[in-house]
Amino acid sequence: MPSVNFEHVTKRFGDATVIEDFDLEVVNGELLVLVGGSGSGKSTILRMLAGLETVTSGKILIDGRDVTDLPPRDRDVAMVFQDYGLYPHMTVRENLSLGLRLRKIPRPEIERRVAWAGGILGLEPLLDRKPKALSGGQRQRVAMGRAMVREPKVFLFDEPLSNLDAALRAQMRIEIGGLQRRLKTTTVYVTHDQVEAMTLGDRIVVLADGRIQQIGRPIDLYQNPVNRFVAGFIGTPAMNFLQGTLASEGGRLFFSAEAARLKLRSGTAAVASTEPVTLGIRPEDLQVHAIDLPTTRALDHSPTQGASDGDTLTGRVVLVERLGGTSHVHFQVGPHRLLASVTSDSPPEFGTNITARVPAARVHLFGGDGRAIGQTPSLRS
Amino acid sequence: MKPKLVARRIGLYVGLTIAALTFIYPFLWMASSTFKPPTEVGSLALIPHAPTLDNYRTMWARAPFGRALVNSVFVATTITLAVLVFGSMTAYAMARLNFRGRPVLNAAVIAVLMVPGQLTLIPLYTLIVQLGWVDTYAALIIPYLFNATAILMLRQFFLQIPQSLIDSARMDGMSEPRILFTIFWPLSKPVLSIVAIFTFMGAWNEVLWPLLVVREQNLMTLPQLLTVFALGGGAGTVGVSLASAMVLVVPVVVAYAFLQRNFIESMAGSGIKG
Amino acid sequence: MAGPYAAFLLIFAVYPIVFALVLVFLQWDLVTTPTFAGTDNIRLLIHDGRFWRAVANTFVFLSIHVPLQIVSALALALALNRQLAGRSFWRAAFFLPVVISGAVVAILWSNLYATDVGLINHLLEKIGISPVPWLTDPRTAMPAIAVMVTWKNVGFYVIIYLAGLQYIPRSCQEAIEIEGATAWQRFWYLTLPSLLPQTILVVTLSTINGFQLFIEPYVMTGGGPLRRTYSVVLYLYNNAFAYQKMGYAATIGVALALIIGIVVLLQRRLIGKAEAL
Repeated sequence: MPSVNFEHVTKRFGDATVIEDFDLEVVNGELLVLVGGSGSGKSTILRMLAGLETVTSGKILIDGRDVTDLPPRDRDVAMVFQDYGLYPHMTVRENLSLGLRLRKIPRPEIERRVAWAGGILGLEPLLDRKPKALSGGQRQRVAMGRAMVREPKVFLFDEPLSNLDAALRAQMRIEIGGLQRRLKTTTVYVTHDQVEAMTLGDRIVVLADGRIQQIGRPIDLYQNPVNRFVAGFIGTPAMNFLQGTLASEGGRLFFSAEAARLKLRSGTAAVASTEPVTLGIRPEDLQVHAIDLPTTRALDHSPTQGASDGDTLTGRVVLVERLGGTSHVHFQVGPHRLLASVTSDSPPEFGTNITARVPAARVHLFGGDGRAIGQTPSLRS
Repeated sequence: MKPKLVARRIGLYVGLTIAALTFIYPFLWMASSTFKPPTEVGSLALIPHAPTLDNYRTMWARAPFGRALVNSVFVATTITLAVLVFGSMTAYAMARLNFRGRPVLNAAVIAVLMVPGQLTLIPLYTLIVQLGWVDTYAALIIPYLFNATAILMLRQFFLQIPQSLIDSARMDGMSEPRILFTIFWPLSKPVLSIVAIFTFMGAWNEVLWPLLVVREQNLMTLPQLLTVFALGGGAGTVGVSLASAMVLVVPVVVAYAFLQRNFIESMAGSGIKG
Repeated sequence: MAGPYAAFLLIFAVYPIVFALVLVFLQWDLVTTPTFAGTDNIRLLIHDGRFWRAVANTFVFLSIHVPLQIVSALALALALNRQLAGRSFWRAAFFLPVVISGAVVAILWSNLYATDVGLINHLLEKIGISPVPWLTDPRTAMPAIAVMVTWKNVGFYVIIYLAGLQYIPRSCQEAIEIEGATAWQRFWYLTLPSLLPQTILVVTLSTINGFQLFIEPYVMTGGGPLRRTYSVVLYLYNNAFAYQKMGYAATIGVALALIIGIVVLLQRRLIGKAEAL
């Protein structure tokens, strides 16, 4: 039986409808990530599940039980907040045990659970300290410990890593993931960071404007985004997009944009040749070769021709960001500015002309409404 | 909204209204009592059956309230202006000028605040007597020319004004007082008004000190005259003594009605009670 | 620029403090020359029944005023600390007595407490309680004044508590709700402890205020009945103004300052201990 159910949930703030007809099933024991930009409604959904926001219409069920009208304390959920929400006047031990003391759980049991959570999270040396004497990462762990000792039905995480620096975030990500796998408690995790979403989630829900864009496993969202939003949201660096049109020629599909013409897979266009179409290709899928030495002249603004042969674009490098093992090569194809992700030791240099091969198998096509066109065959090799 | 929540909300508003009434009603009752003839005083009714101005007439005839009002206005205004001017001068010096003994002065200001007024009350009184200042405006005003709380508050604010403003003014050849009054003052309007309000209110409501140093009725401040009047039996009836209280209260309430946010910000922030 | 203040401080702050200590050892009626009195004043004070009566009265006052002040200010602050229509109106209503002169409040409440024509007894009669001689019964006089002073100042402390309530992080409040707290538990485990600094301030300020009580007994009771509302400052004033005993009055002043200092220090210690628990 699914652990959490949202049925036709709508949320209005005054006149503004923030969430409309939201349906979601969270599977027992999974870590489900709600990801999206600000204003996407992800936090609102989480807070409605927690009981911190009322539901305008619809139902929320936890383990089959209708909790829509129940206050937070009766829902058997635990939440980790972005700023941790630790009680500043209590020690770590008291912070961890307050929830249990409130519910009149017997002392020995409280001590057992605190010791257990403290052990897993490495909190033993900190038990008698107050939150202000802790580092950000330590406070984070205390917040998690506090949720753990309650042994709730559902863990809720509200952007817990946003206040940490990059290195700590990466480390905590791993810890949280490991913890959840170990405890097997159903978890709903909200973040705006798609890297967290991709690495942590068993399934990801991409949200925009209060609506679900796509639900699926991380790899599914990566390989088969159903619309342009998801395609551009998932994956770093973001997917390249070109606006153009589709046409059939001699049994093959061709994509045409200014200064670019690409041969795609065989087949006929599902849309008319006058319809605007967006082609998406991920930076890491572009195969880049330099075709000459860097020019010593100032930036040449003469339009570069798009090669009409097959699946290659020709352009000039305008910026190289060297990150060490990978480089981000920004290049100009006519009016289009594209990005290729290159892993060689010597990426093309600024000012060189390059070719970028666009493998037909990795091309994504989106119609005027943003929805993916046809099936882009995902490469399993 | 859920009915239980609505009921709680209503309960809250009812409770708040009752509470607010207990704070406002006594003043309303006081005001209306001043318009009641002696037979009606003490009744709960807010509107007198037979309203009369007798109480006010009696009060005005029996003691120099008009004069006392003038005295209070004069004293309070002078003190407020002095505190603003001298206080900001001192605060400016303490915040922005370097001089020998600055740390000593800093410490002294804070120390002054720690000492309860009752300790220095008698020696100050004897000083006034010895200076021959009994029954003079000097006695009422001069001990209050400088206010440690005001100085600290102003100093705190002045510390935050960027040094660059002062530097460029000095390079233009401005004298320090000129800098203070033409540059700092316009920037300090919020703090200055806060200081002005609590200084004025403090001076307006002060009773103990005037009771000590002023005997002459014509020189008394309004709260002082009111106290003497009410206690000395000059009032005679409740209506009259309340009428005298009204003279003191009405200007304040009127000012408060328009500026209540400023009042609250000022008096709560400075820790002074009327 | 700071010269004038330095001079002022010297004359009106430093000199009086020093002279106060000098006066303790003098006898002076302001007219004749002062005479040296050794430790007479101090010894007199230690055995002065009236002085200690006044101190005891102050403690009676404080024992009612301080708890009442905390409870009422806190209750009002909690009520005001939410989205409310006309919030600034409520706040202004509660703060009104703070800006009104103490003399006026004292006169007003003298009339409210009046045994025969007073409003309070009037209201009590309406619900069947016989009139209480608030200001003339030695048992009720000081408590009556304590209630009045609480009424006068509560708005001030409401503002202080309101400011403190803003600082309680929202995530803490939500966390404790999720953890299972009822409204009362939330208050007891989170709100009240978080407001400890404010409560300390309330206790300290109202204590100091209590020791400085003057205009209220002066106007309302003159110190009676049976000296039950006689305050220390009133005694000081009478010694200076009525009895012309400057040295002794100064001694009372110094003693008062000392008592205030000690009481405030003790309070801070005690509350500090309670916080550490």
